[in-house]
Amino acid sequence: MMSETVPRPAPHTRRRMSDESFITLLVAGVAVGLFLFASLMVPNFFQVQNMINLVTNNWAVISLGIGVTFLLVSGNFDLSVGGIVALSGVLSVWFAQAAGDGNPLSVGLGLPYPLALACALAGAMAIGALNALFVVRFGIPSIIVTLGTMMVARGIAQVITHGSQRNTNLPPEFGYLGNLSMFGTSVKFAVVLMAVLLLVAVFIEKRMVFGRITYWIGTNPVAATLSGIDRGWHITKLYLFSSAIAGIVGILLASEFKSGYSNRGTLMEFDALVIALLGGVAIAGGFGSVIGMFFGAIILAVVTSAATGLVLSPDWQYILKAIAVFLAIVAQTWALARRNR
Amino acid sequence: MSDIQTSTHAQTGLLPKVGAFLRDYYIYFVLVAVVLLLSTANLDKFDLFERGNFLNKNNIINILRVSAPILVIAGAFTMLMISGYIDLSVGSAMSLSAVVYALLAINGVPFLLAFVLTVVVGIGLGAINGFLVVRLKITPVIATLITLSLYKGVALLLVEDGVSAIKSGGGLKMPGWFNGYGRSGIFLGLPAAFWVAIAVTIAFVVIQRRGVLGKHAAATGGNPTAAKLSGINTGRVVFLLYILVGVTAALAGIARSSFMSLGDPLSGDGMELTAILVVLLGGTAFSGGEGRVLRSFVGALIIMALTVGMLTLVPAYYQTLVIGAALLAAAASNHVITRKGRAE
Amino acid sequence: MQETPILDSDGAAPVLRVDSLTRDYPGVRAVDTVSFDIAPGTVHCLVGENGAGKSTLVKMLTGALEPTSGTMQVLGRDYAPANPQEARDGGLATLFQELHVVEELTVQENLTLGMEQSRFGFLVSSDLDRRVVETLKAIEPSIDPKARVSALSVAQKQIVEIARAASSGASIIIMDEPTAALSEREVERLFGVIRRLKASGVTVIYISHKLDEIFQLGDMVTVLRDGKHIATQPLSEVDGRSELIEMMIGRTVFQTYEPRTAVTDEVMLSAEGLSNRLLKDVSFAIRKGEIVGFYGLIGAGKTEIARAIFGADRVSGEIRFKGAPVAASPKKALAAGIALVPEERRTQGLFTSLSIRENIPVMNLRNMSEAGLYRSGLERDAADDYVRRLNIATSSIDKHTEKLSGGNQQKVVFAKCLFSEADLLLLDEPTRGVDVGAKTEIYDIIRDLADAGKAVAVFSSELEEVLGICDRVFLLFDGAVQEEITNGPDVDIAHILNVVTGGQGAVQ
Repeated sequence: MMSETVPRPAPHTRRRMSDESFITLLVAGVAVGLFLFASLMVPNFFQVQNMINLVTNNWAVISLGIGVTFLLVSGNFDLSVGGIVALSGVLSVWFAQAAGDGNPLSVGLGLPYPLALACALAGAMAIGALNALFVVRFGIPSIIVTLGTMMVARGIAQVITHGSQRNTNLPPEFGYLGNLSMFGTSVKFAVVLMAVLLLVAVFIEKRMVFGRITYWIGTNPVAATLSGIDRGWHITKLYLFSSAIAGIVGILLASEFKSGYSNRGTLMEFDALVIALLGGVAIAGGFGSVIGMFFGAIILAVVTSAATGLVLSPDWQYILKAIAVFLAIVAQTWALARRNR
Repeated sequence: MSDIQTSTHAQTGLLPKVGAFLRDYYIYFVLVAVVLLLSTANLDKFDLFERGNFLNKNNIINILRVSAPILVIAGAFTMLMISGYIDLSVGSAMSLSAVVYALLAINGVPFLLAFVLTVVVGIGLGAINGFLVVRLKITPVIATLITLSLYKGVALLLVEDGVSAIKSGGGLKMPGWFNGYGRSGIFLGLPAAFWVAIAVTIAFVVIQRRGVLGKHAAATGGNPTAAKLSGINTGRVVFLLYILVGVTAALAGIARSSFMSLGDPLSGDGMELTAILVVLLGGTAFSGGEGRVLRSFVGALIIMALTVGMLTLVPAYYQTLVIGAALLAAAASNHVITRKGRAE
Repeated sequence: MQETPILDSDGAAPVLRVDSLTRDYPGVRAVDTVSFDIAPGTVHCLVGENGAGKSTLVKMLTGALEPTSGTMQVLGRDYAPANPQEARDGGLATLFQELHVVEELTVQENLTLGMEQSRFGFLVSSDLDRRVVETLKAIEPSIDPKARVSALSVAQKQIVEIARAASSGASIIIMDEPTAALSEREVERLFGVIRRLKASGVTVIYISHKLDEIFQLGDMVTVLRDGKHIATQPLSEVDGRSELIEMMIGRTVFQTYEPRTAVTDEVMLSAEGLSNRLLKDVSFAIRKGEIVGFYGLIGAGKTEIARAIFGADRVSGEIRFKGAPVAASPKKALAAGIALVPEERRTQGLFTSLSIRENIPVMNLRNMSEAGLYRSGLERDAADDYVRRLNIATSSIDKHTEKLSGGNQQKVVFAKCLFSEADLLLLDEPTRGVDVGAKTEIYDIIRDLADAGKAVAVFSSELEEVLGICDRVFLLFDGAVQEEITNGPDVDIAHILNVVTGGQGAVQ
């Protein structure tokens, strides 16, 4: 068809690893290296159970990290997830608590359990919708919007629980989901769900059009719009998606502890952001992966649990997080600059 | 987009003038409205303050006393946001300063020396932020999130295990002068901490109106290319502003620590949100360039009147919700009023 | 160093001397051994067609680009600025099309920005303040020095920038298309300002496509063509627009247009009365199999028409595509079968940090998705296919597009559009910044597309381009279609240039 151009042989696809795979591999390498190093330093660290615990103890933050990673890749923050965890947990308890008279904290709406969960999830997603409204419609920077909605979500939870918690008058099945063990082992349902969410997210990211659109938007929002992508609608979906995950996490935690506690999930939004950054997700957008975020979580878990093993006070975790993120950002910038020189 | 055409109409006529008037003065109306609302509300209900009107002298003194930390921070924070940057570590820097100040005092360092040393720590904390942002070119949000975590960790570590804060006990005793700075009235019944906040605010108003720094901060935030082309060292401007925010965070820490008679490593938690809130409420655009220190000061008064006043109307657990909603409302109205929020 | 400076008629040494200045781009010599002098206190105009080398020359003068060879002198001293700041220090200020004023500050604050006198960090009023205010009053008394710049019109902001340049002691001020965004009355005011500047001894280098302005304002004119210096002479010695146009186009032999047979009568797109803040009642029709050109200079409305059709900008009026109205969103336009190659390739067209392979499928997601699944195999095949068909020079389809040359980048943007299988292609400056070889290839692609039954609209500010490939050309000026011409061997180039530079009717 393009007759005049001299046909050249199809360029042989000498496939170089993409920058993204490179960074992911780097992060995974650091995670493994840190684990081995910690095993040398900390007695009893090198144990299968410990390795499993590194993942299972962090199921909540890793799950939240999925939505946060997708949003970061699209060029947006989501700091509201911690607040949503508290809100959906409190809502699920309040909706499920039996109705009637008595102590205000013991009286709920008395909805059937499944309906209570569905409504709690809807409440969580309403916060996601609020994020989308302010970011997409009003064009307000996502960092400010989600800081605000973080407080609104937690604030609603505090109002419902009068600043503490609700844990009475619950139907017997309320604690089932959060304490359910799967496959005859001690692996909790929540951990299995995290694994499923991770797999689905990786699948969406790598294999689905939805994932591709996220990268296009994050790389060049203007070109994405001029290429026929409905940017606003896609970001709306991402916020809904992230808030839904946070809602599920909140419901599961409430079920596990059989209580709706208004301070649950405090700082989880920061941890979710931290593991994404450790995993090589760029806040400028268009770069990063869910797998990277997962290994970022492992790095953070190794560092904090090794610190605990070294009998450092738990207060060290803040400093260690700060240093880890700082080193991660400096190292990734340096590695990419070297590689693409 | 490469559109170079912009509206060529000069802004004349009544409507823009009304708009400009609103933009400049709406914050004062909001303050008056909040005070009126709270003073007509029934205060007997919870009886947290002395019975009587919201405009009661003791009530006002109390509000202004607890407001000292945010009032002292608002000015520098406004200038930083005008230059187009942000500091999320300001709350942690405040906590750390509070702990350092209390530690010095409890170990027998005299007032003035403890005060000066804490301010020097504040300079250091600001300089670290400036270094990360200006020299290492780490995005401000991330750089100051890193230091938020770092300063908070150091503050927690300075306090012994098993104790929640630096306070009298275990053979050490807070000196008698310790809470005088934040509590004892020295003029009009208000403590030194409040008057320092006033002095700092006046200083920043003057710096903004008449100082080279104020002008260069506006230029850096308004049009960085033009600022650089005019020979302004924008990196140095930003570095200096981070240091000033660090200093005011230290002053806020001293005020809070003195008021509470202890060095609490969590006492500054959430201050970054309050600071952003009052600055946005004061009409400073998040895209930089635009804003007034004095309006942020009034914004801080509004927030403190609201939070303290609210305690007389609704239980304390409404506070987070109200602050969060106020932040969203301020961001939205700011967007409408300044028309600066660009849908990217 | 020159032995004896060439003196101008008044005997004054030149304020700026350009000597054998050359700048090469890969495959193109944009400026070719250009030498000329500019006398002090004059308005010196720089004219030439698009691609003649004006903007490259200006970039070298302002320090944005380094010359490949050759020298410049300002007031007899060697002048080799490494950046715009150094150019300004050397006494040469530039009024860019993008304004460099701080909207949030007052006029006076802007005028003294970076030059403040201070004591202990506080501003003190000084001679400088008086001087800048005086300079401003001298060139435009109506601007209040205390007013905030955000309250000024674009024209007034320009004047503030000019006053800043003048009060900072610049001896030369370059103005690049300063009237593009101004109304007629504002242009008059600007001209007054320029004349007063000249009277105070400042030299103005004035670049404009509007030839009338040049005759109205200029003392001297330098003509560039194809990167070469054609002439520098007093405007009083130029015999009207036609002579100037002749110098600009020379005996350039345009690539000969061959009438095409694939043009049909079937209207694919019709637009009726398009108007927005720039466009004025624009109407036209594009037929199947046809290549239609929209030719106009900067600010004439080309890009705006393209974006309006594509739904990227708001516009009133009616657009019908294949008989049905088009909804105003790029997504819907694309779904209907309209695709756009945008003006700015790097910021609007490409995903530069992604590979060629990842760039191509974005405009045809329907095809790329199978029940939501992404067809990576198809992506790979499509990339291989288009790299071959468009002859994109790359070692791999996995190469990041930011590492490709301009021509190859543009071909990737084309590939994106072609893959969308649109029936109407809107090409905004399709060969800007593209080397000659790639240009020819792109023209062949465009012809093949139209022959295959698509409709193509080319929005261009290069006359050679539109006359080389388009069957019909709409001439634009000031946001409106001035004339429609049918391409052919006897088209009157001088007439076209006259129309798009604001001339009335034919050249006598």
